[in-house]
Amino acid sequence: MRLIALFSLATIAALALETTLPRWLPLGPLMPDLALVLAVDLGLRHQRTTGALMAFGIGYAADSFSGVHLGLDAFVMTLAFMIAYALSRYLISSSAAIGVLVVLICETLIGLARYAAGAGWNSAGGFAALAPAIAWRALASALAAPAVFALMGSAARLIGLRQQGVRE
Amino acid sequence: MARSLRSSFLWRNRVLLTGGALLLLAINIFFTGNRPGARAEKPSHALLWALRPLQNSTAELAGDSKGFFHDYLDLVNVRQENDQLKRQIAELQSEHIQMIELRVENRHLKNLLELREALGMSAIAARVIGVDPSEISHTLILSQGAAGGLKRNDAVISTDGVVGKLIAVGPDSSRVMLIDDHNSGLDAFDQRSRARGIVAGEIDAGIRMKYVDRTEDVRPGDAIVTAGMDGNFPGGLLIGTVAAVSQEGPGLFLKVTVRPAVDFSALEQVLILTQKPAPAAGQG
Repeated sequence: MRLIALFSLATIAALALETTLPRWLPLGPLMPDLALVLAVDLGLRHQRTTGALMAFGIGYAADSFSGVHLGLDAFVMTLAFMIAYALSRYLISSSAAIGVLVVLICETLIGLARYAAGAGWNSAGGFAALAPAIAWRALASALAAPAVFALMGSAARLIGLRQQGVRE
Repeated sequence: MARSLRSSFLWRNRVLLTGGALLLLAINIFFTGNRPGARAEKPSHALLWALRPLQNSTAELAGDSKGFFHDYLDLVNVRQENDQLKRQIAELQSEHIQMIELRVENRHLKNLLELREALGMSAIAARVIGVDPSEISHTLILSQGAAGGLKRNDAVISTDGVVGKLIAVGPDSSRVMLIDDHNSGLDAFDQRSRARGIVAGEIDAGIRMKYVDRTEDVRPGDAIVTAGMDGNFPGGLLIGTVAAVSQEGPGLFLKVTVRPAVDFSALEQVLILTQKPAPAAGQG
């Protein structure tokens, strides 16, 4: 219950920031994908079925405010959770470095998925124009990830939420 | 019994299996959730409603402080000259900007009112309260929803021209897909030559008028307006002007690049047409 409450609040804050901050500051592709970072945090440190459900919920919430295809972010956020989960179990580590790597990979995947869903794979010229924006957003999200992980870790400790990940 | 359950394959892999099932659910939503009235849309509308107050207040705050923020950046460069003077200037400019903001908002609303009267259709004004964080999709969140009588596919315009159409309508807020989104498409014609085509967003930014026959006379500077055949937009609304025309390649059609009439990044107030236009008869 505490996990759901914490990540629901964090998702609302992340989406409010993501949808309103660009009106203050023209960050463009440098706006980090905070919702994705939350999904990866779940995969690294809250490895339970509720974590998977929350990752799906975060993606669905992101779908409600971004893009025109409902379900796309839900798919990628769940996938991000599973990649983070599988990678941390395989490497027997849930360090922030793995999280940063997963965020980088998954943000690139989101960009590619959105591009594929919207334009198909035939428009090579369009992809060349968009590739830098996708790369910048992935980089910005990866750079923001350690701070978000630390913040969520502190918040989890504050409310007494036990983190359920692999042993370091 | 409990021990055998815990050692079973399903229990040990429950997280991965749950994740897999959710991936399938997401795929299902992707293919069925975008249909009008789909059940998967309902929670999405609730989320739009839930975040609306936060976005609304942030939008108001942003409107007040956007000008101040830019002015502040300018003033940083002259900090060495006179800190005291700078503070006074900043305070005065902040007040001045607030007054300008009020005047601009007033003018926008007055213009929208005049536009609504000129169109002779029922319409409601809405504020832009959120943007799409994705660089690939081009949508905006508006401050009006189903409670104001809005429906999916309603036309959204501004005093400068066509903005887009609604793709999701929550109780108190809604999302508009801009005409420069690559999923957008709108029938249109060249006001001068009456050449017809489909105005659609391009993935690499900007909008194009597609399927314009090579034999048509389309020139840079021509106004592109709505044809009014889609049942959502009335005919004759300005979409943009032709920026470039080329006949490269062996294709049957011209490559027409259109410069949108609306600056989407500076959009603050829009008008949503809640009344469907009468079917257009034989433009072009």
